[in-house]
Amino acid sequence: MSMLFINSIIGGVFAGGLCGAVGALCGRLKLMTMAFSMAHAALAGSALALVLGADMTSLAMLFAIMTAIMLGPLADYLGVSLDLISMTLFSLYNALTFIFIISAPGPALMTESIGQLLWGSILAIRPTYIAYLLTASIIIIAFLAIFWGKISSILFDIKLAEAEGVNVKAYKYVILVIAGATITLALRITGGFLVFSLLYVPAAASLQLQASMKGIIASSWIIGSASASMGLAMSFLYDLPAGSCITIAALILLASASAYSKLGASLASGRRQSWGT
Amino acid sequence: MEKNLECYAVEFEAVSTYYYGERRPAIRDITLRIPAGVLALIVGPNGAGKTTLLETILGLLRPRNGRVVTLGYEIPRMASRARALSSYLPQDFMKPPAEPFTAREVVAMGLASNNPAGRLSEGDWKRVDRALEMLGMLEYADKPFGKLSGGQQQKVLLARAIAREPKLLLLDEPFSAIDQETRSHIVSEIFPSLLEDGCTILLVSHELDHSHIDADMIIRMADGRIERVIARDVHAIH
Repeated sequence: MSMLFINSIIGGVFAGGLCGAVGALCGRLKLMTMAFSMAHAALAGSALALVLGADMTSLAMLFAIMTAIMLGPLADYLGVSLDLISMTLFSLYNALTFIFIISAPGPALMTESIGQLLWGSILAIRPTYIAYLLTASIIIIAFLAIFWGKISSILFDIKLAEAEGVNVKAYKYVILVIAGATITLALRITGGFLVFSLLYVPAAASLQLQASMKGIIASSWIIGSASASMGLAMSFLYDLPAGSCITIAALILLASASAYSKLGASLASGRRQSWGT
Repeated sequence: MEKNLECYAVEFEAVSTYYYGERRPAIRDITLRIPAGVLALIVGPNGAGKTTLLETILGLLRPRNGRVVTLGYEIPRMASRARALSSYLPQDFMKPPAEPFTAREVVAMGLASNNPAGRLSEGDWKRVDRALEMLGMLEYADKPFGKLSGGQQQKVLLARAIAREPKLLLLDEPFSAIDQETRSHIVSEIFPSLLEDGCTILLVSHELDHSHIDADMIIRMADGRIERVIARDVHAIH
């Protein structure tokens, strides 16, 4: 088995897990449009790196985190909702991405780097990248474990948490910055247009299977890992775009989780009827 | 019984609060002092500004004019300190059936917010169960919060508010879903015990009949203003 394949699977396990957990948090906190805007910020940052010949991950991370930091103050300053400002920035980043791609050296849309940017590539998974993913995973798990009491209060009811003195704004910013960093890292294997498959499909699948918030986050992590590693294996074996394969794998897992949940519910209902309750 | 006249739990001086984008204030030019350790009933029709008053007290809504001091802390500048000593039961409390937290976890969150990292000690968990027991909800502690009835959800949130052992308890329509028997238990057993411990209770109600509540003050609001304050053995300035 080649080193590239092993690296792909290890990278997939971490990237998918991170995205799944972050997606479950963002979905619960209704930060989805903000994550959408940050993903496209990272895409624009990566595209700019192609023009400048700079490191793609660093610029993507800078764009995503800057977006996470400025979304709230910008919405307050303009007096519009966070969703509206997120979608406005999303349009701006898409426009910039296309301009940067066209301005990149070499024939547009033909280079390996641009392919990696748009639809992801297993070639992006190198030992340094796995080290980044491992560090991000440790930071997120530590953050959730240490501050779970306050985070769960925010996840239950933001207004009530705020009324009880939890610094909701600070926690939301930390989660947004974590989401920005996670999206930036995942972008390299899924590509800019399909990163959401790893963020939200595992969260949707785990909602079919789990009833507790901790269970939802943990199973989103596992389903995200499984989606990414299955998808990357498919990409490696059949020479298909990594992002597309990951999306298909994630959707297969969602369909399986949904079928399992429905089957379980109908069996339980059948048992209740046979006992006459 | 004469209440403590020196210390005020809530002080408002010419306070007006506006909702975002509104030209008309939700509460206007309110001057009010509520002494510590009293049970104050805030009554009035829908849209009178009762909920706005509570949310201004905690700094959840920022006053555009005037001065607000809650438990000795300037609002909104020191709101986090006042909030740490307060509990709030909001009017819109209902959660959907898929809510992924149990009743016990929901009460525990109220204590977690006052601990530096949000971790609970063994003593804290005992407080959680005691509060649930006071409201008759201990047997439902491990049930998902969303699967409880409206009245049960309201009792769990009241248990959360009580478990924090607050200095100021703000209750917005706390009996809207609760049965008569529990209501009597809360009014006759739980409120007196909280008041004895020095807690100030502000209870918002739109009901006309509030004879079952033994209030020290009744603050009647209408159209964002205070219409009338009736105080018994306390000095409330209006």
